[in-house]
Amino acid sequence: MSQNNQEVRLKLENITKEFPDRGGSGTVKAVDDISLDICAGEFLTLLGPSGCGKTTTLRLIAGFENPTTGRILLDNQDVTPQPPNKRDMALVFQNYALFPHMSVFDNIAYGLQTQRVKRQDIQHRVNEALLMMGLQGLGDRRPNQLSGGQQQRVALARSLVVEPRILLFDEPLSNLDAKLRVQMRGEIHRLQRRLRITSVYVTHDQIEAMALSDRIVVMNAGKIEQIGTPSDIYHRPATRFVADFIGRANFVGVTVLSESAAGVEVEIFKRRVTVASSVRRDGAPLVAMLRSESLTLRHDPALPQVLVEQAMFLGSEVEYIVNTGSQQLVVVEQDPRGVHVVAEGETIGLDFVPEAVHLLPA
Amino acid sequence: MQSLRRPQAFKRFASLTQDPLLTLALVLVVLFVAITIVFPLLSMIGEGFSPKGLPLFQRYLSDPVHLSIVTNTLVMGALVGLFGTAVGFLFAFVQVRLNVPFKRFMHIVALIPVISPPFAVATAAIVLFGRSGSISRGIFGVRYDIYGLDGLTLVMSLSFFTIAYLNLSGMMRALDPALDEAATNLGANKWRIFRTVTLPMLLPGIASSFLLLFVEAVADLGNPLVLGGNYEVLSTRIYVTVIGLYDTTGAAVLSLILLVPSLTVFIVQRYWISRTSVVSVTGKPSGTPQMINHPLVRWPLFGLTIAICLLILLIYGTIIHGAFIRVPGVRYDFTLEHFDFVLNGIGAQAIQDTTLLSILATPLAGLIGMVIAYLVVRKTFAGRNLLDFSTMLGIAVPGTVIGIGYVLSFNHPTTLTLPVLGEVTLLPQLTGGRGLLGGALAIIVVFIIRSVPAALRSGTAALSQIDPAIEEASISLGADNARTFRRITLPLIRPAFLAGLIYAFARSMTTISAVVFLTTPQTKIMTQQILNEVEHGRYGNAFAYCVILIVIVMVAISIMYVTVGSTTGAERRLEGGL
Ligand SMILES: Nc1ncnc2c1ncn2[C@@H]1O[C@H](COP(=O)(O)OP(=O)(O)OP(=O)(O)O)[C@@H](O)[C@H]1O
Ligand SMILES: [Mg+2]
Repeated sequence: MSQNNQEVRLKLENITKEFPDRGGSGTVKAVDDISLDICAGEFLTLLGPSGCGKTTTLRLIAGFENPTTGRILLDNQDVTPQPPNKRDMALVFQNYALFPHMSVFDNIAYGLQTQRVKRQDIQHRVNEALLMMGLQGLGDRRPNQLSGGQQQRVALARSLVVEPRILLFDEPLSNLDAKLRVQMRGEIHRLQRRLRITSVYVTHDQIEAMALSDRIVVMNAGKIEQIGTPSDIYHRPATRFVADFIGRANFVGVTVLSESAAGVEVEIFKRRVTVASSVRRDGAPLVAMLRSESLTLRHDPALPQVLVEQAMFLGSEVEYIVNTGSQQLVVVEQDPRGVHVVAEGETIGLDFVPEAVHLLPA
Repeated sequence: MQSLRRPQAFKRFASLTQDPLLTLALVLVVLFVAITIVFPLLSMIGEGFSPKGLPLFQRYLSDPVHLSIVTNTLVMGALVGLFGTAVGFLFAFVQVRLNVPFKRFMHIVALIPVISPPFAVATAAIVLFGRSGSISRGIFGVRYDIYGLDGLTLVMSLSFFTIAYLNLSGMMRALDPALDEAATNLGANKWRIFRTVTLPMLLPGIASSFLLLFVEAVADLGNPLVLGGNYEVLSTRIYVTVIGLYDTTGAAVLSLILLVPSLTVFIVQRYWISRTSVVSVTGKPSGTPQMINHPLVRWPLFGLTIAICLLILLIYGTIIHGAFIRVPGVRYDFTLEHFDFVLNGIGAQAIQDTTLLSILATPLAGLIGMVIAYLVVRKTFAGRNLLDFSTMLGIAVPGTVIGIGYVLSFNHPTTLTLPVLGEVTLLPQLTGGRGLLGGALAIIVVFIIRSVPAALRSGTAALSQIDPAIEEASISLGADNARTFRRITLPLIRPAFLAGLIYAFARSMTTISAVVFLTTPQTKIMTQQILNEVEHGRYGNAFAYCVILIVIVMVAISIMYVTVGSTTGAERRLEGGL
């Protein structure tokens, strides 16, 4: 999907947010000069470690915080000075934030009542929302009489029913147990693809991010590290931070042999590989990133030999920590037949998928 | 907050002013607090440090009579703090930790003093234990002199211990039972646990109860006026200086002297003790506290508590009984003449005026308290803590001092001389017979400022329990601040609002120390009439007033329960559905 030919729904222009720090004298830059375009109908995820400024960015978009500098444009209109209730967006909170003194029905109807929608229309639209979220028959319950998953659905329905121009999510699944989280993830995915509602989703769970997103924004210390499709981010990380944060990455030193239009020819594990790299070298040293699953262990004296230091059986796969003599690597082997486990202490040959080599500035 | 850099502070203020209604609310409460609390206090301080006042300081502080008044005040405050906290601790401990019957009964008896008019307990104590008391003289045959420090300590401890009881029982419930269990696991016996775990954890609560009672005691006017005898304290001295000597400057100087211990103790209690509290009130106790079953602990403490309960009931029984007999303590034949005197005489107007003014003040006090709590907890703006503190002064400052401040500030129109316009009247005269609405407005305002702090505290406590995300969810769904406050915040803090209303009404009906200086021929106040009757020894009439007052307060509380709603149900579960 190409972003260029789609209309931009939300635009962040050089947004910076400073908070006074605990001491009170200085400031903390929670968000540091972020610029970002979000297209209509797109599902965009802000992903990053704890404290990197994801929530702050989301709250800036929603209007609960005012940027120290920068502008926010919604459909080409500057909404920076607008209060949150005037922005046509709805936020789904981490802990649901349902109104505990209202029934499920009234919770969902709340936004419509605020918009002064006619009574019958409210009735109709709320019932539709209940049906869509699989909550039929629960309209009279109080939030505390619902399970966690149901509460999350009510929170979602409450935001969806007002048909906002943008739906914002702040780690909506983090309070659910693992199974329910996977199930709700699927539901959000289905729902969003069906309604094509522009969404900004905050999470620190990379699987969730990859499963749901059209594009992912990886953040670190208030800055954007990389923006790209899940596959871009996973296979072609722009920085070492991104490579390290997502999936399991090994970094291997390489010797550059030649550079041409076709790519960079490097030597890695005593093999010559040409990598179609977009990295601009400018003479700086490079490092190769190899995902754990693109490494394999095989009895073959022709391959470079490694020592298996640790072998962990993880069910669907086996994770090895091997030593090449100069560094440790993580190797993941799929083993559907359940026969092939290399013992700790064994020496074995190391092979890799040459197409999976990705070069990064060292 | 104060250390925010200017541009940041400005930005935050600017974000607050995005909502005109919120700005209006903020401006209104700030103006209200400034005019009704800060300004009178400043006038009083100005008067005290004026050329007329300064020599008086020197005179009072070097004169043995005045020095002994100061000592008396402090000694009385300390004794009441000590005994009141002890009784409160006993009630709380029995309630939370002892396995004994009649707990509900003891709880209700402990709450009774809250709604009692100021002179009721003192007068009943005179009737029971005084020189010709029906118990001291009638049963034991002694002519006991209850007037003075001993009587004051007894009466005030019984009147104020509820504060300590509620404070400490809340804390004891919040103590994590796991701590006790851990200590038991380590082999400690119950007494050792009490000494080494429970007591140290409760120490901040005990200290803060002591200090709260100290402030109450040194500020009290009603009891020392009736029971003091020759034992003079600052509040009574201030009263006499104004009412008897018409010397407002002298009263201002004495008020400033009284303000020193009151405010010091208040600030220590609020900003130091309550900060160092180790008890974390999570609202989610991780178990029920272990009950203490040892008979040697259980029955003596139970017996003592029941004895105190009976004493309280005896006192309130005396009030009710005394209203229906010819001469309390002397002639016991049934009569309605006291009620006749009150209802068909001058009392009718006082009852009407007091009730009407209280009814007007109550919702205002509750609402102002909740709005200030909302602003202070939820919004960031420069001067937030100052607003909170200034509001709290309404109760931290002794009533007599507030009263003097009002007389000094509002007994004449407040004017300002401007360069072009000349003299501009900012406020008309509020107090005295020629004051606005016959002085009634000033009285309502005093009712409000004396009640708002309690509403503010309960509102603040309730609000900090509510996840701000719930309000943000409402705003995110398009509701503005006003709608969010009305539809979400206020319903969620309804129990706190109700508590604020009940307190405001009870307080307004029973307050004396501030309004005693503000009553006018046009506007009469019940407590003042009660004082009048007590001073003339017409205890029967005083008791009749008290009975009527208590009935009015109880009826009003019932009405508020019905209309505002009780504390049961979903509002307790405030975490937004978790
Ligand atoms: N109101 C605030 N006042 C001061 N500092 C703040 C405030 N809100 C956030 N910060 C700081 O800004 C930084 C970013 O916080 P933010 O909540 O955006 O992180 P996050 O990426 O959402 O983290 P998490 O995954 O833990 O939720 C943190 O260092 C945080 O301490
Ligand atoms: Mg966050």
